[in-house]
Amino acid sequence: MAKQVSSNNPFCKKKNGIKYNEIFQFGFFSFATYCILLCAIVIFGKIILEGTPVLWNKGTDFLTKKPQTLVVVEAIESENIEIPTENFDNILNSNDDDALPIENVEEFEKPYPYNRFKLLPDSIIGEGYLKNIEQQNKGFFLIYTERDTTSPVGFSVTKDKALSLKTAEFEKLKELAPDLIPTEVTTREVTLTDFKVTIAKGEYSLSKIAFTALTPSTLIFQMREGFADDDPDSKTCPTLIPSTQTITVDASTYFAAFDEDERGTLLVEAQEELPKKTQFHQFTLKKGNYKVSLPALSILTKQGITSQHNLDRGSIVVNVEQPIELILTAASYEQLIAANPGIKVSDTEDFEQKENYTRFSLAKDAEIRIDTEDLEALNKANETSGNFKTSSKYTHSYSGGGILGPIVGTALLVIICMAVALFTGIATATFLNEYARKGAFTKSIRLAMLNLAGVPSIVFGLFGLGLFVMLAPCLTSTPHTESKWSVPLAPWGSAPQLRVIEEKKIHMETRELSTSDVISAAKADSKEYFYDGWTYLSFQGWGTCMLAGGFTLAIMVLPVIITSCEESLRAVPMGFREASLALGASKWQSIRTAVLPYALPGILTASVLGITRVAGETAPIMFTAAAAERSDLPWEAVQATGFSAFIEFLQQSVQALPYHIYTVAGRIPQSEYTQPMQYGSVLVFMLIVMALAGISIWLRVHFRNKIKW
Amino acid sequence: MTQQDPTNIEPTANLSSQAVDLSKPETPDAPPRQHPAEADKDGVSTPTQANNDLQGLKSMIEISDLSFSYDMGKTDTLRNITLDIPEKQVTAFIGPSGCGKSTLIRCLNRMNDLVETSRITGGEIRIMGQSIHDKSVSPIELRKQVGMVFQKYNPFPKSIYDNVAYGLRIQGIKKKNILDEAVEKSLRGAALWDEVKDRLKDSALGLSGGQQQRLCIARTIAVQPKIILMDEPCSALDPIATAKVEELILELRKDFTIVIVTHSMQQASRISDRTAFFYLGELIEYDTTEHIFTNPSIKQTEDYISGRFG
Repeated sequence: MAKQVSSNNPFCKKKNGIKYNEIFQFGFFSFATYCILLCAIVIFGKIILEGTPVLWNKGTDFLTKKPQTLVVVEAIESENIEIPTENFDNILNSNDDDALPIENVEEFEKPYPYNRFKLLPDSIIGEGYLKNIEQQNKGFFLIYTERDTTSPVGFSVTKDKALSLKTAEFEKLKELAPDLIPTEVTTREVTLTDFKVTIAKGEYSLSKIAFTALTPSTLIFQMREGFADDDPDSKTCPTLIPSTQTITVDASTYFAAFDEDERGTLLVEAQEELPKKTQFHQFTLKKGNYKVSLPALSILTKQGITSQHNLDRGSIVVNVEQPIELILTAASYEQLIAANPGIKVSDTEDFEQKENYTRFSLAKDAEIRIDTEDLEALNKANETSGNFKTSSKYTHSYSGGGILGPIVGTALLVIICMAVALFTGIATATFLNEYARKGAFTKSIRLAMLNLAGVPSIVFGLFGLGLFVMLAPCLTSTPHTESKWSVPLAPWGSAPQLRVIEEKKIHMETRELSTSDVISAAKADSKEYFYDGWTYLSFQGWGTCMLAGGFTLAIMVLPVIITSCEESLRAVPMGFREASLALGASKWQSIRTAVLPYALPGILTASVLGITRVAGETAPIMFTAAAAERSDLPWEAVQATGFSAFIEFLQQSVQALPYHIYTVAGRIPQSEYTQPMQYGSVLVFMLIVMALAGISIWLRVHFRNKIKW
Repeated sequence: MTQQDPTNIEPTANLSSQAVDLSKPETPDAPPRQHPAEADKDGVSTPTQANNDLQGLKSMIEISDLSFSYDMGKTDTLRNITLDIPEKQVTAFIGPSGCGKSTLIRCLNRMNDLVETSRITGGEIRIMGQSIHDKSVSPIELRKQVGMVFQKYNPFPKSIYDNVAYGLRIQGIKKKNILDEAVEKSLRGAALWDEVKDRLKDSALGLSGGQQQRLCIARTIAVQPKIILMDEPCSALDPIATAKVEELILELRKDFTIVIVTHSMQQASRISDRTAFFYLGELIEYDTTEHIFTNPSIKQTEDYISGRFG
């Protein structure tokens, strides 16, 4: 007190450093706050700055269904390049304006000859040719139940073809198709060398070309991963050869697998040449159309005769009730008639379909960005004239936008997820808050939920893979042979259609055998599915599909939903429940009419925030639902009808935005062409999330004004 | 009724007219007031002085030797309560906070079932002759007959119409004309019709506190209960709104048996026919209101009424 008396002002500043402390505290807290603000500005600013021009330039092209692949082509100066106008416009869109030295642009109509015809019942048609018809006639999808392997099939030879057959094959062909073999057959004796090779056991890196050559041989080896069809021949895979083996291979296999250049790291311990004299019968197959049996055709295809018949399973019997009117390009039609002696058509007529073409010249050499499909069209249009010449070609995957598929996929995943999560979450929250006794049980449930909320999302992804993709039960008449557990429930009406059998490889058996016998028979038959006339509850998983992804995401977001639902329920005054009960409402009536409606605003806000979280998750959908690339939207791929169409729709994998961004940013080779796509995709994604957050705020304000107590 | 003279004249006028109405179907309620001291027990020695002689009135609720516990029977919140509540009369429960009067009223429509650990540890409650804790009794059906109005007015955040129609709707009545009729009748019964008839579709939360509480009463009488329990219905209201609600209670007395918990002794004396005084979970004294307020048999009652404690 004495000190204060010395000054006249009892509230005067005291020189004890508190002031500086306060300045420091203020400074620290404001610094932390501004740091966050700065981060937000930098992140959003970068995305908006980089992403907006991409969206602006691309416009709706950015929203194409499938991630487009741009090819950068060095085109050589030339004149009179022809291209369908549609593709020409695409090219102009993909390139910067004024960048292309295009001159003398001229539009014209190019007539294309087509055939219109009626396909009659009981036609027999090769599988490849049927697919071709289906491709050219949208909406035509033939469900067939019968195949035919005995009827003759046709093939055409466009120019004289020299054939050279070994004795065994020649004799067989002679027996099967004597008409085919001309009188002049020259016989030649050649000494071929077989190789006897001993390969040491060990870990190798096997090239694709070697793998392809060795597959039919007797060599036992294990691949660590497989090759895809579109992998280059030079790609290698780690391979284990478990023991030292000696195999005998012919010369072509030897040179493919063990030749110095192509050998890879295969370690050959010893090799021995086994010369062998072989007779070859040589003759020439004249240009024209031929008709042979299936086995004969399979001998001929090995000699380079092309055909679209399915050599293993035979032709398809068209079992339509009425003639179907179809169209085909004249060239395809000619091929179809030549190759299918069993086909029955009527009312064939020619007509021309005019297509818009553009003709242009390149004034000088230019670098053109062009979509793969457009490039194909361009090459095809100039195939004969040879006007379009390129010197180099670089492919940049995913560089052409194509974000509609991912957006649709994310939307579908979110819808499924929220439907499941809200239903389960509201039910759980209602139970915990309204029904369950307050005690150890509810406490342990809440603790479990807290822990669940802290589980890393990749763990949810793996969990979803194990549970939904591989174990979840489904009702089916054609269970998977690898199903963990299948319970027969009731007889099934109709056998699966042959087309499904062909595509899914279903083993057909009767119910006389027990389920386990049927399964072992199917496995012995190396089939993936079996059918024995019964409906099964089969624990075989749903496969990688949006249903599995949606459920996985739902489980991930459930703790959040339950917690916020519970909070919303708790915020509803006890008086509403009491008033309702006192009026003679049952417990559920009172919850339904006097509790849930007033908890709804909170639940909705929470669920919208949940949506933004779910939409951004990558890890849980990586194994359960996401496809890196799909060319069609999910509803376009559905072929079934009725309820099974709905099931088929749900059992598709989808593209998803976060996974797309991951793919674009991290899984493909980066280049100046792919980078804008990252920013564009991220900006679109951010706009969607911001829109959802906006909806959430609007909902909250709207309901707060409407319902309050 | 004469001792604590209500300042408002109208309720008294109502009461007198009502007394005339009641005298026709029932035994006149005048006698209990003329013979207040029905001292057939020694009021000083026994702790409880319950005058369960209803003087010829039909008993609606009979509570006999009721003990009740909130914690699985470890401690009894109510102990050995015995009292009979007459039909179409107003019975007031008074007592200091925590004495168990609200607990008892909530036992009457089994609202205490909501508390999981609550138990009836002894005795029973019979309403209209039926023991309400019997296994065959559904609390839902019971509550349809025994309505309740709460301390804090709690209309749903819906329209006035929907609030009143709520009880009927959950019983599955959907026909619009029946609902319209019932809503009007209930709102008239709760003396609210004239004030709200032009804005039935407006939110109930736009009404004043007193109107909201009357709306809650209208909502309760819409389902036509036999008994209305009121748990301190005026504690959150200002004096004018309180007067209106009291007026309404005296009006409702014609058709319903009313049990009211109140902290206001004046209110109890103004509106009730019989009064029960509780203290620490026990019924201390139960008699006609006039007797309790003019000539209480037990000293505790007298002390409480005169404001010496509580």
